[in-house]
Amino acid sequence: MGTFKLTTVEEFEAATNRLLETGKKVGADGWQYRVANQTPHCKFGEQGICCRICAMGPCRITPKAPRGICGCDAHGIVARNYLKFTAGGAATHSDHGREICHTLYCTSPDGNYKVKDPEKLIRIAKEWGVETEGKDIYDLAHEMAVLGMGEYGKVFGTQNFLKRAPQHTQEIWEREEIAPRAIDREVSCSLHMAHMGCSSEPKALIRQSLRAGLSDGWGGSMAGTEFSDVLFGTPKPIDTEANLGVMVAENVNIVVHGHDPSLSEMICEYADDPEMIAYAKEMGAKGITVSGVCCTSNEVAMRRGIPMAGNFLQQENVVLTGACEAIVVDVQCIFPALGPLSKCFHTKFITTSPIAQMPDSDFIRFSAENAGENAKLIVKTAIENFKNRKPELVYIPDMKQKATVGYSVEAIVKTLDGVTNSQVDVTGTTKPLIECITSGVIRGAVAMVGCNNPKVRPDTAHIELMKKLIANDIIIVASGCSAQAAARAGLMSKEAKDLCGAGLKRVCELADIPPVLHMGSCVDISRMMILVATLAKDSGLNISQLPVVGCAPEWMSEKAVSIGNYVVATGIDTFLGVDPYVSGSDQVAELLTSGIRDWVEASYTVEKDIEKLGDRMIERIEEKRAAIGI
Amino acid sequence: MTLFDVVFSGNDAAYGLAEGAIDAAIEKYGADKAVSFPDTAYSLPCYYAVTGTKVNTLGDLKNALGVVKTLMTREQRLNDAFMSGVATALCAEFLEVLKYVDNPTPYEAPCAGHLPDAAIRELGVPLVTGDIPGVAVILGAAPTAEEGVELVKSYQAQGILVTLVGGIIDQCVEMGYKTGANVRVIPLGKDVTAVVHAVSVAVRAALIFGNIQAGDAAGLMKYTMERVPAFVNAFAPLDPVIVAAGAGAIALGFPVITNEETFRVPKSLIVQKDISKFNATSLEARDIKIKVTKIDIPVAFASAFEGEIIRRG
Repeated sequence: MGTFKLTTVEEFEAATNRLLETGKKVGADGWQYRVANQTPHCKFGEQGICCRICAMGPCRITPKAPRGICGCDAHGIVARNYLKFTAGGAATHSDHGREICHTLYCTSPDGNYKVKDPEKLIRIAKEWGVETEGKDIYDLAHEMAVLGMGEYGKVFGTQNFLKRAPQHTQEIWEREEIAPRAIDREVSCSLHMAHMGCSSEPKALIRQSLRAGLSDGWGGSMAGTEFSDVLFGTPKPIDTEANLGVMVAENVNIVVHGHDPSLSEMICEYADDPEMIAYAKEMGAKGITVSGVCCTSNEVAMRRGIPMAGNFLQQENVVLTGACEAIVVDVQCIFPALGPLSKCFHTKFITTSPIAQMPDSDFIRFSAENAGENAKLIVKTAIENFKNRKPELVYIPDMKQKATVGYSVEAIVKTLDGVTNSQVDVTGTTKPLIECITSGVIRGAVAMVGCNNPKVRPDTAHIELMKKLIANDIIIVASGCSAQAAARAGLMSKEAKDLCGAGLKRVCELADIPPVLHMGSCVDISRMMILVATLAKDSGLNISQLPVVGCAPEWMSEKAVSIGNYVVATGIDTFLGVDPYVSGSDQVAELLTSGIRDWVEASYTVEKDIEKLGDRMIERIEEKRAAIGI
Repeated sequence: MTLFDVVFSGNDAAYGLAEGAIDAAIEKYGADKAVSFPDTAYSLPCYYAVTGTKVNTLGDLKNALGVVKTLMTREQRLNDAFMSGVATALCAEFLEVLKYVDNPTPYEAPCAGHLPDAAIRELGVPLVTGDIPGVAVILGAAPTAEEGVELVKSYQAQGILVTLVGGIIDQCVEMGYKTGANVRVIPLGKDVTAVVHAVSVAVRAALIFGNIQAGDAAGLMKYTMERVPAFVNAFAPLDPVIVAAGAGAIALGFPVITNEETFRVPKSLIVQKDISKFNATSLEARDIKIKVTKIDIPVAFASAFEGEIIRRG
């Protein structure tokens, strides 16, 4: 065997500890310390039985006080909190999708943003019933952008993308009244329902949670993904690297962090500009290295092969290397702690979005209209900051792994075409994957997604579960910080095939893929929905019959809950490693873990023991196989 | 029944037959009776390659069966199906070697049975140089003798070494089609277990030319997958023993192409209903690319015919 070896969580932690020592020297704070300060957490909050939606409260439920002042019981409070949590997530993804639609609206043949995948635009336009014949591609882009933004506030009807789901799934959504209407309407309707004196019936609140989730997955997120592809190109397999070692000590290091590729794409564009590289050399650096953190990192890795410095709980580490000239952020999952932290170093913490403004940051307001000049200014600011570096504080952990990323649905289908036989098979379908699954060579697929959460030893759940699943011939599709955990450990290297069972290993060899496929950022979980919908159509099975489950073992954000809701509502059983603040109501817990199965043919499983979580996923996959006789 | 269950049941059947035959042979000849294939330095080549152990007597053979049993795990995983496929091939080898006890010539023309090392050394060089671009293992009877012979001929014309097992042999005889090592169409035997003589060729190629150490099962499978361009054409109906043997072939990296409606596995188990497309399907599945200069002449033309003997009349 070769010299391939996974990077272990222990090695991650050793590197982090070394960085925290640097932090101590300069008096820096870290999430590790803040977690300790916040522990133990408030039990009422943890159980979801604290309510502060009106000024009669705050109320909390105890055995002595079983109802709030308005008379709402624990079940109503827990379900309302859950719905508001979901609405927050749906709003976040959806606003991201809206920004992308706006960027699409700003495209022009000689502007900052262009249509890089016109074929995909035409395909979506046709789906939406838009005339494409003889139309200028930019006219079409603008028309589609307006229609896309219209999805947020359409007066009648439901989301356009729902038609991509199999008939059976669409019927379920209609029957259960969870087909999402306008995206903003679902968010606002959720907030309405959760207002004092509106809904306190758990079933109604959870039903709306599913609908709000669906407005994200099959609305906002899907628009974000699809139009990002149109703007920046549909991802294709590409080689890159992951972990902090991707930062280069001799170079100007710009770290992009956040979510919206409209910003990061432009930064990458200018960092490649010969003029900027020359300027960096003038300032004493050897060049410019852009690396990423979180989902914006996933976006530019998928499309440009930009290396991934780390995931959510690595964001402070990037600054702690002392070699980060600028950490440029837009929206979502950005620690406000980066402000004070960057002050301990020479690092510029550059915020760019009116949506996410933070103290102790340099705010360079970025918008699609002035993207070019602002991106240039940001890159220049970073370059000029190189001279302020304190060499005695520079330490970049020498650890990185190879990764092959870029597995959009289009790329997966193309990869599958590679194993077809032209004498018997058709191309352009997911049938080869279905054949691998029905024959038993691959047992099933798990979509690994979600965040990091200090409640779980960071990255262990992602990595350990993936190792266990691939050893059991279960293929993984991953996105978000889960994907980055995999990449940093080395699970997205093609050499990781040697950790697989014989079945998955053979598939990796024949298809020339890594066992964990990077499908992108968190909005790109919509790609997984399209993939599963295609698998259902190509196999003639319902989505809920496929031996496929979803898993968010270290989830943290409201977005993750919104994602969970749309994944379950699409018919995919979802496994969580962190409790979603519902333990205070047995009724809500029962609904989420079993009751909603009667509505959408899937439900949640919550299991904090990660080993057991893996066993239960494998068990569920085998049950699903047995049920269809494969 | 899942595909793996079919493999497991075929493996169980083969194991049962081997166990019965070995016990009967020991009963008849005693455990110390010598057992071997003629003209080979590799004992029971498949068993030797996989385990590194040589079998000399019927008693050894009984012990070997115990080792084979350890491969027969029953999880629903490809590894288990692969190992059961290998176990099936080994059981077939045991059944075949028993035919040679007290009988140096259990096979009669046109069947060759076990091939001597010399034949493999002779074929090895053209295999390595690509002069023989592939090895076809044809198993069972084609829907019609014409289709079967047409398929054999198509491979032969491409210089591919063709081995035949089962009904296809009678079909060649029926059509008066010339076979033999000299024309690279080698009928092995009519029992399905004779297929192991084809496996034995691939395995000895790995030992002789690949410098694979006996007992390095993983290295063996890697070598055969990467370097021995073999594939299997199995005609319907497929019984579980054939499917189990097929799993062994796939484990070695050899795709199986069949006209029976069954589970499909990309690049490994391919259903092709049209026999006339077996050739193209197989070559594509095994990534065999043949540079052919078509010469428009009224007879077949290929290196395979180099050893042909022209008889009077």
